[in-house]
Amino acid sequence: MTSFIIRRLLITLVLVFFISIVSFFIITLTPGSPYPWGELDPKISQTVKDNFRKQFHLDEPIWKQYYLNMRGLFSGDLRSVKDGRPVLERIGERLPATLALNVCAIVISLSFGLLIGVYSARNAGRWPDVTLSVLSFAMLALPSFWVSYLVVIGITDWFGTPLLGTSSYGTVFPNAASQFLDYAWHLALPASLLALGGIAAQSRYIRASMIETLNEDYIRTARAKGLDEETVSYKHALRNSIRPLITGIGGLLPALIGGSIIIESIFAYPGIGRLGYQAVLERDYPTLIALNFITAALVLLGNLLADILYAAVDPRVRLE
Amino acid sequence: MRFVKFLIYGVPLLLVLLFAGAFWNATQLSTSRKNEMIIGSIGEPTKINPILSTDSAASEVASLLFEGLLRYSSDLELEPALAKEFSLSQTTTFFFASPESALAAREILLGLRDRWAEWTLRDVAAEGRELRLDLTQPGLDTSILIADLLGIEPITSIAQIRAEVGDKARELLAAFRAAHPEIDVVREWFDYDAVFEVSVLGDGASIAKTLKTFLKEQKIENLVVTALDKQDFLAEPVVRFVLRDGVLWQDGVAFSSRDVAFTFWALTDASIGSPRKPDFDLIQSLETPTPLEVVVTYRKPFSPALASWTMSIIPAHILEGKPIAWWDEFFHRNPVGLGPFKFVEWKTNEYIRLERNPIYYDGAPWLDAIVFRTLPDPIANRLAFETRQVDYWNVDPWAVKAFQEDARFDVFSAPAKQYNWVGWNLRLPIFQDLRVRQAFAHAVNVPEMIKYVLYGNGVQSTGIFPPMYWFANSDVEPIPYDPDRARALLDEAGWEVGSDGIRVKDGERLSFKLITNQGNETRKDIATLVQDNLKGIGVEVEVEIYEWAVFISRFVMKQEFESLVLAWTTPPDYDAFQVWHSSQTNPDQLNLVGYNNPKVDRMIEQLRQEYDRDKIIEMAGEIQRTIYDDQPFLFLYVPDSTSVIWKDSFRIRRPAPDGGWMDTPVEMTKAGWSYYLQWFYRPEYADKLPPVEVPQS
Amino acid sequence: MKNEFLSPGQRMMQRFRRDRIGMISSVFVAMLFIVAVTFGALSLLDVPFPADPNLTNLAEKLQPPSASHWLGTDNLGRDVLARLLHGAYISLSVGFVAVFVSLAIGVAVGAVSGYFGGWVDNVLMRVVDAIMCFPTFFLILTAVALLGPSLLNIIVVIGLVSWTGTARLVRAEFLTLRESEYVRAARGLGQNSWAIIFRHILPNAAAPIFVTAVLGIPDAILTEAGLSFLGFGVQPPQATWGNIISDGKSYILDAWWLILFPGLAIFVSALAFYLAGDALRRAASSKSETQ
Repeated sequence: MTSFIIRRLLITLVLVFFISIVSFFIITLTPGSPYPWGELDPKISQTVKDNFRKQFHLDEPIWKQYYLNMRGLFSGDLRSVKDGRPVLERIGERLPATLALNVCAIVISLSFGLLIGVYSARNAGRWPDVTLSVLSFAMLALPSFWVSYLVVIGITDWFGTPLLGTSSYGTVFPNAASQFLDYAWHLALPASLLALGGIAAQSRYIRASMIETLNEDYIRTARAKGLDEETVSYKHALRNSIRPLITGIGGLLPALIGGSIIIESIFAYPGIGRLGYQAVLERDYPTLIALNFITAALVLLGNLLADILYAAVDPRVRLE
Repeated sequence: MRFVKFLIYGVPLLLVLLFAGAFWNATQLSTSRKNEMIIGSIGEPTKINPILSTDSAASEVASLLFEGLLRYSSDLELEPALAKEFSLSQTTTFFFASPESALAAREILLGLRDRWAEWTLRDVAAEGRELRLDLTQPGLDTSILIADLLGIEPITSIAQIRAEVGDKARELLAAFRAAHPEIDVVREWFDYDAVFEVSVLGDGASIAKTLKTFLKEQKIENLVVTALDKQDFLAEPVVRFVLRDGVLWQDGVAFSSRDVAFTFWALTDASIGSPRKPDFDLIQSLETPTPLEVVVTYRKPFSPALASWTMSIIPAHILEGKPIAWWDEFFHRNPVGLGPFKFVEWKTNEYIRLERNPIYYDGAPWLDAIVFRTLPDPIANRLAFETRQVDYWNVDPWAVKAFQEDARFDVFSAPAKQYNWVGWNLRLPIFQDLRVRQAFAHAVNVPEMIKYVLYGNGVQSTGIFPPMYWFANSDVEPIPYDPDRARALLDEAGWEVGSDGIRVKDGERLSFKLITNQGNETRKDIATLVQDNLKGIGVEVEVEIYEWAVFISRFVMKQEFESLVLAWTTPPDYDAFQVWHSSQTNPDQLNLVGYNNPKVDRMIEQLRQEYDRDKIIEMAGEIQRTIYDDQPFLFLYVPDSTSVIWKDSFRIRRPAPDGGWMDTPVEMTKAGWSYYLQWFYRPEYADKLPPVEVPQS
Repeated sequence: MKNEFLSPGQRMMQRFRRDRIGMISSVFVAMLFIVAVTFGALSLLDVPFPADPNLTNLAEKLQPPSASHWLGTDNLGRDVLARLLHGAYISLSVGFVAVFVSLAIGVAVGAVSGYFGGWVDNVLMRVVDAIMCFPTFFLILTAVALLGPSLLNIIVVIGLVSWTGTARLVRAEFLTLRESEYVRAARGLGQNSWAIIFRHILPNAAAPIFVTAVLGIPDAILTEAGLSFLGFGVQPPQATWGNIISDGKSYILDAWWLILFPGLAIFVSALAFYLAGDALRRAASSKSETQ
């Protein structure tokens, strides 16, 4: 087990670097260079621009730029092109909100996905299952920006409740509970919309896996032995369906980070998705390198964790 | 197993209940507002420092925290701010072959004392071979007159030489002066440490050659030495500011001339790298004789200089001696200023919170705080406004009418300080024929564009100065929509309609690309409409849209475009140098289309040296008309800027002109609806305010 | 006909026909095809039916749905219904061609990986892992910026980032099928690897591959819509569903029809493809009917 973990960690490390190198090359080769001066401003002199280029190593060969930026990243000194602040700080201050949003979305995906998946599997082939299947696909087919806008506008027009950002502004709260619920509300809506695709995907995996298990011989044996359906489902079949649950998390992460770009814009939610999007538009190379590295690392580590958990749960699996 | 079942069904149920509860709570939130104003902004400032920030979000915040020596009044005229008074004068210096000649010249002038008033001459002094005239007004006319009077022979002409050395300019100049003590250098000026300009007595060409030889020996790369025009005298305007007494920074330290001197140093220092430096490039020196006096000497008459002193002053006692990295880490996200509001908190990508500054010199504001909320999506901004999460919204043109008709809102509309245009790259042969450009102007239906793209909220542009400025020329007539005339002009220019409907001349089709940036619906609409209109007269236009970073760096700054749709935002500044002078047509400069009209060049240079208000209006008007006639742009329109607030959410209580207080609803001024932000208050908190003696509206 | 006498293909068709939802959605997909091809042809031939999708008419901008404009007009006065119909072709072809590209790559990689195994498999799967963590948005931005914002580039890029799922699936199929009897027999007979891959294994893996393709189409359509929404889609005046939405994004509070109808079109099309693909998958699989 330990040797497996070590080997996977090493491979992960190599992969993360590989990803960061390739994406760095791609981004720097894109036309357009960092231009932190917003609007077209007549008054910026050449020396200022030269200084700027020197500070961010923009005239060095690409491989050297990569090296210098990575060195900065690990020494903590890497600064953003946009406002000169350390990149890790910029990412760090968005992390709590991002974590909150993504953890919420994952919790919602898993719990509702499990519910729908199990219920569908137990009623396989009958109309509840059919309806839920169509519903799942419907959730996958919804364009996220479309449904988000519809929801946002609907709620604003019919209820007039504030729903942007992380909390309501300028209102006087009667007590702490109300304020807590306010935070919860501002978090719940975007997290739910973000989780739609995840619910659909998870429920499909679990349903498929459970159905497959329910048709196995040993389940038929258990039924023949007289065990009631409930025990069969929850105790035996479900255990084997934990795998898709766990591997699903690994697949959820990149999807969430990508999907959150749109949701975060619409809900004005201060997360990493928006940071990355803007960094790309502004060609903020240092921020992009850091983000790429961190997200790649997170995703790969997430996958590794999922694999380990899976191995721990299922003794039949032998890790290479 | 029961437990498992409970988990599967229970957890989702719990989540649903939590969701419902949170939603219910949100609907119950009271609408009682705090005594604050919440402003929504699409961008977030990068750093809050008035001399460094160039994005509008940062400027908005900085304008409430800092102030300059001068500021704009509600009519967009300059008025005193931190400087309670200012005066202009000028020192003109003549150099003579010998001290005797200087004294002789002085005698001549002393003999003509009766004409001194007419010449605005106050005093004459001779020192060595220099003769210094103290004039009460800046300008060249008097100096030229006196020069003629004194005669050319005794006067030694002064040559200006510019040397671009890349680095160590001060060292190199000192070395040169040491090596050539015979050359009389009377003035030095440095552009960072990369360039120096000197005024020397004698023959410019030969001295320049000597300098070049000297520098070449120092093995300078990319050395450029130019001899500029020679002059008969040095005319150096002087602005003297008297600062207000008793102004305190928000941390209690007194404001003084030291802060002004420090701000000037920061603006021109290479390690700080302020983009505002060019405004201050013509300053020869800045002195602070007392803590409440600032004397600024300019290298030559430069009338836009006064406006440059609306630049905010930054605190010396905090920033002096610290490197820019320290500024980034400790000041730019935690600024200390002396404006009506002081900085309290910045939660990145969420909000910036400013609170009332009780020691503001002009009187503490009524509002407790102002919060800038970052709402990157334009729709989000509007939704936030409609749910009272922000207090005002910049209305999109298509929604203006709906808001104007809705009695719940107050709408304020005024022409914006910008104009939109289509630029033709004059380096391309297609665009070099004036008739072709005129044809395009006749072919595009601008009034219709205003009616449909702006929903009527704008006026057709008649040139480079938006109409609300005092120097704008209101006599220029816009080119009318006349597609028949357009076709006639193209025919005349030799473009005949080809077989596919597109005009051809000498085998070349009248076809080109029109680019603009993404993220701006209006520009996209303009591009599409132009494409459509020009198709009607036989011109093929391909529209391409690029995202901002690519647009700027690949096409605009390198000037590799055929035509583009863009807009210029102009402060109340009549200096058209950076955009229209022919010397600014290189990559990274702003004369994007390559406009080159020597007559306009001369007019721009002269205008910079003109201080007389009427003459400025005349010359600026002439420049505007000439450029409009030349059509380097297809001048489109000046849009209206419209803001909306919930009716009676705010009122203004400000000092009445004759003592006491006046109470008015929020009203529009030339400088914007929020000009009196300092005096805004919420009616529900009105009891905290001083009473009004004479009730108004 | 009784089950025992039918070939696997016929059995599949029979199962498929019995699946009502699958049938309905397949009919819808077919209709979509017809609409797309018809109006695509009309578009290429510049036939303005039912209205010219590119005709700007400023006097009629932002009109709500009415008798003369069934789905309203956009901000330049263009008829939304016409743009929707003429844009169907583009939106759907993005889906199809992108899936085709990703299929080509995915099948190639998966086949090689699954058949040859060993270090080749290891390396390829690691590459797949790496790409699955890729910030795909950057790739898309690059392509659009480098090569120009055109339909072809968008299709190619979407294809280039979505092949990993297919690769994994194909690999899994190949791993199983490689051990089957007739393959072993073929190898014993001395046939070379490529012949075995193409003639024996691939045809048997065809069904799941086809299903993946069908299920991949809505993903591609949704991605194109998302790209257009962010502003990186096809250039004006070309109409695509995503384009209509992104053009109308600013007017959403005043002109709901600009968002509702194209979004509905995307949603319904994607749903139809998903349901049809799912029905196919169920019909093709040889497991019991409750799947």
